[in-house]
Amino acid sequence: MAKKAAKKESGRMSQKEVLPGCEIYGLGLYLVREKAFVVSDLHLGYEEMLNREGVLIPRFNFHDIVGRLGLAFLALAAEGKGIERIVVNGDLKHEFGGISEQEWKEVLGMLDFLQQHCREIVLVKGNHDTILGPIARFKGLKVLEEGLFLPATSTYVTHGAFVPDNEEFRKAKVIVIGNEHPAISIREGVKAELFKCFLHGKFKGKELIVIPSHNAVTIGTNILKEKVISPFLKQPLGDFKVWVIEDQPYYFGKIRDLQ
Amino acid sequence: MIERQTEKYSDEEIHRNLNPLLSAWFRQKFGSFTEPQRYSILNIHARLNTLVSAETGTGKTLSAFTAVISELLNLSQGNQLEDKVYCVYVSPLRALNNDIQRNLLEPLEEIAAVQGKKERKLGIRVAVRTGDTTTSERAKMLRKPPHILITTPETIAILLNAPKFRENLRGVKWCIVDEIHALASNKRGVHLALSLERLQRLAPEMTRIGLSATVAPLELVAEYLVGYESERVQRPCKIVDVSFLKKMDLKVLSPLPNFIDVTPEQVHRALYDTLDKLIQGHQTTLVFTNTRSATERVVHHLKEKFPKKYLSGNIGAHHSSLSREHRLNIENRLKQGKLKCVVCSTSLELGIDIGFIDLVILLGSPKSVARAIQRMGRSGHKLHDQVKGRIIVLDRDDLVECAVLLKNALEKKIDKIQVPLNCLDVLAQHIFGIAIEDKIQVEDLFRLVTRAFPYHSLKRTDFFEVIDYLAGEYTSLELRYVYAKIWFDRETGWIGKRGKMARIIYMTNVGTIPDEAKIKVKLGEQTIGTIDEMFLERLKKNDVFVLGGESYVFNFSRGMTIQVRSAEKRPPTVPSWASEMLPLSFDLALEIQRFRRLMEEKFVYRKPKTEVIEWLHEYLYVDENSANAIYEYFHEQFLFAEIPHDKKLVIEAYCEGELTHLIFHSLFGRRTNDALSKAYAYALSRLTHKDVELSMGDNGFVITSEGKLPIDTALRIVKSPDLRMLLEMALDRTEVLSRRFRHCATRALMILRSYRGKTKSAGRQQMSSRLLISAVRRISRDFCILREARREVLEDLMDIDSAAKVVQWLESGQVKVRKIATPLPSPFAFNLLLQGYGDVMKMEDRLAFIRRIHERVMQRIAEKQKVV
Repeated sequence: MAKKAAKKESGRMSQKEVLPGCEIYGLGLYLVREKAFVVSDLHLGYEEMLNREGVLIPRFNFHDIVGRLGLAFLALAAEGKGIERIVVNGDLKHEFGGISEQEWKEVLGMLDFLQQHCREIVLVKGNHDTILGPIARFKGLKVLEEGLFLPATSTYVTHGAFVPDNEEFRKAKVIVIGNEHPAISIREGVKAELFKCFLHGKFKGKELIVIPSHNAVTIGTNILKEKVISPFLKQPLGDFKVWVIEDQPYYFGKIRDLQ
Repeated sequence: MIERQTEKYSDEEIHRNLNPLLSAWFRQKFGSFTEPQRYSILNIHARLNTLVSAETGTGKTLSAFTAVISELLNLSQGNQLEDKVYCVYVSPLRALNNDIQRNLLEPLEEIAAVQGKKERKLGIRVAVRTGDTTTSERAKMLRKPPHILITTPETIAILLNAPKFRENLRGVKWCIVDEIHALASNKRGVHLALSLERLQRLAPEMTRIGLSATVAPLELVAEYLVGYESERVQRPCKIVDVSFLKKMDLKVLSPLPNFIDVTPEQVHRALYDTLDKLIQGHQTTLVFTNTRSATERVVHHLKEKFPKKYLSGNIGAHHSSLSREHRLNIENRLKQGKLKCVVCSTSLELGIDIGFIDLVILLGSPKSVARAIQRMGRSGHKLHDQVKGRIIVLDRDDLVECAVLLKNALEKKIDKIQVPLNCLDVLAQHIFGIAIEDKIQVEDLFRLVTRAFPYHSLKRTDFFEVIDYLAGEYTSLELRYVYAKIWFDRETGWIGKRGKMARIIYMTNVGTIPDEAKIKVKLGEQTIGTIDEMFLERLKKNDVFVLGGESYVFNFSRGMTIQVRSAEKRPPTVPSWASEMLPLSFDLALEIQRFRRLMEEKFVYRKPKTEVIEWLHEYLYVDENSANAIYEYFHEQFLFAEIPHDKKLVIEAYCEGELTHLIFHSLFGRRTNDALSKAYAYALSRLTHKDVELSMGDNGFVITSEGKLPIDTALRIVKSPDLRMLLEMALDRTEVLSRRFRHCATRALMILRSYRGKTKSAGRQQMSSRLLISAVRRISRDFCILREARREVLEDLMDIDSAAKVVQWLESGQVKVRKIATPLPSPFAFNLLLQGYGDVMKMEDRLAFIRRIHERVMQRIAEKQKVV
């Protein structure tokens, strides 16, 4: 019995690999050869936006994200996997126009926290990041307009709101995007629960990995029901593979079989 | 003291006390007073709080206004009429306000005419103030305040906070609450009760007058009306009960001799033939259908089947989704006697004088005796006229229900209403309003709110939790400026408003009626209708569902819109939605159960059919078809299985493949069954460590699961003292709690519908509330607004008290459980199994659920690989 349970457990443990060298930790993707950790769509300040709309939601996104990232970093360290670079793949902050003291505090706090766990932070611009510049300059960070190319594995990390048009992107074999906030409803009978998920499929012959949002306030877009927004995903998605994220990744096969 | 008014005053006595002008007008216009007027005018004249219960068309409204007009005339003639409000009239209906103005202005004009042309006008001003009142009209009212102010519960709350206008409310002498029966049982009424206390604070001498349709218990409504003058002392009130003045001619009709060996087409044809015959045999008919969709359908089919008889000019639909102009047009044509027939959902139940109607038809059960009487009372809208009502039934459960319902109506047994108590969301809204008026001592505030009947038993701890919530204590100190609505100084006990926007936030968000979240259904660019949000939860891609008589395939959703494509003639994969349905009242349900027992006795004692039919005619008020159908229905059930009744709860186990259905024949009404079914389903799912599905209705509920269900253990586990705790756990992750939480959070102003000049759609509110509820849970499972949402679900939506009563009956053996296994569902179980309303008791947490499903997915993938 115990043996069986242990086997089950190890069965689960092996499911973090999306592609060889691309592994799921928490809500982020670890690129083994590059020693890079990619996270997407933190949307800090989401609660302030809701407050401004007259929804008095208490704030917890920041603490939640820090907690989750902390666990992922611990797991990586435990397996002896170092982090050279953390790539924030767009939408670090939910909204910029008129930034409050509190909001500065959260963004700077997050960058400080990330800095403690890597050598370099790379910010990829997202569609919400209209004035990321000042913050990045304040912290002395790079902001990449289109994306980051990692030559060793021919991986191109981009937010996903548009398809970049450059030489590196064309060369890339693997593309990593965020933007979509993918989530999937798993149902049985009339019961259904929504989970954040990773997706893996193809985009014009390249491997495409979609990272879920790190935002703790919302789960995301149910790809089984709702219309997708990223141009990378405006294609039949039936063959895309799904990793559901709860306490750890669970491989769920193809979207087609979950509909 | 609350007591019934037994003394009837003579006409002469009343006339002696009235202003001579008014007295003369009364004699000229009516000759004599009506019953309600004889009991109440002089009480109100003597400034006693009075509750008048009488049917529409019995001069009820005038019984309240006569004393008021009389005194205003006296003042006017003595040149003592000041520029202030003397009488506030509150009604739940906006349309009614216009009507009352007509009914008040007309008498006033006529009285002026009695006085003679050359005299100056009476000088009594009447004005309507609602959310629709224009800015210029409002400014005019401020300059020249009306002496009689006609308004709604929401607007009165706004006026109490209007810095200038509220000065006109000081010294109000009378407050009349019309249609009080429609307010006392919901949060709108709770809200009004607090407004009345705030008004009374401005006008300590105010006399309260309630006008009610037939409702029970009147003592409770009176308590609600008057509240308390101090911690222990209830304000006095006289109850004038003159219900059941009109003669009632009521019958249940079955269009067909039985409902079993007939096709849907036959039922359909028989229904419309019956309808047509009834309508043609009367001058003007009013039809109630219960749902909006049915209203449209009935009008459509009548026009289609009898194109020469029913044209757009003489038949019309009336329901709340139709535009205001359309409804007003129908109402006016009805009043003018231009319509042969009007079909409505529930919208013409209350208020407004709708002119001459000689027949009311109810399609399907009105679900409560009070509602049946209210609806049928719309016919013969003049004193001494006869009420004529017919209920047409279309299935056997409906037939039994309506037959017993009519019996109760004719025997004047009215089901009881409940007043929601200690609603924390409404309390939060009002405390905010009171703090905006001025600084207040916390103890004075507590005394003020507990004078209102719905808060008389309010716990101090709950009160202070609401204060803490409003003071933003659930967030960190430096963020308080965003969240706090009031400040509270614990040292000095002072409470005051916080923030410059306070007043505008309050004024634009006041009220208790939630916006309904409707999902727009689109076929390409074309909008074809709306569905309930709860319904969308159930849809998955490629599901086929019916909307407006057509089937559609669900493609995808985005926000509050879904895209569909035509399904041609594919059968639906999801049953239609029945959220509009009215629940059967508990009291009536018990009466039906009692009838079931009497029927069982007939069969046990082997009474011959003729004798039973004869008894049926004697006991119920049914036609030949109906008596026959009732007999057959019960006889089948008796032969096939068991007849459940008020002393015997039958639980029927029926297996279908791997599935076990446990059918509880618990005819207690949907509100009670909602609570009972969730408690048992939760117990069963805990015992089996599996989710169980459940569906429920007025007549019982069904719990379904794979494998065996340990019903005996579940019956032992569910104990009446633990019922609330059990249900609170069962509710925790349900959609209904999240929905009600949105309503409560909106009322408590945690979600502002209207903010910085923008109005949030219901959908946007719902999305916000989903996020909010999970955030609030992190603060505390017992956060006061979340707790209020739970209370609302358990006490207002469900009926946990009646459910506890049922469990007690089971515990004491007063109701025995009878378990039976059937190879096929018994006749009484048919409708229970067909109920569209399904739900699932989520037992597993997300983690266990995802692991289990994942295992299954892994197996499937492994099998596929083997095949390859």
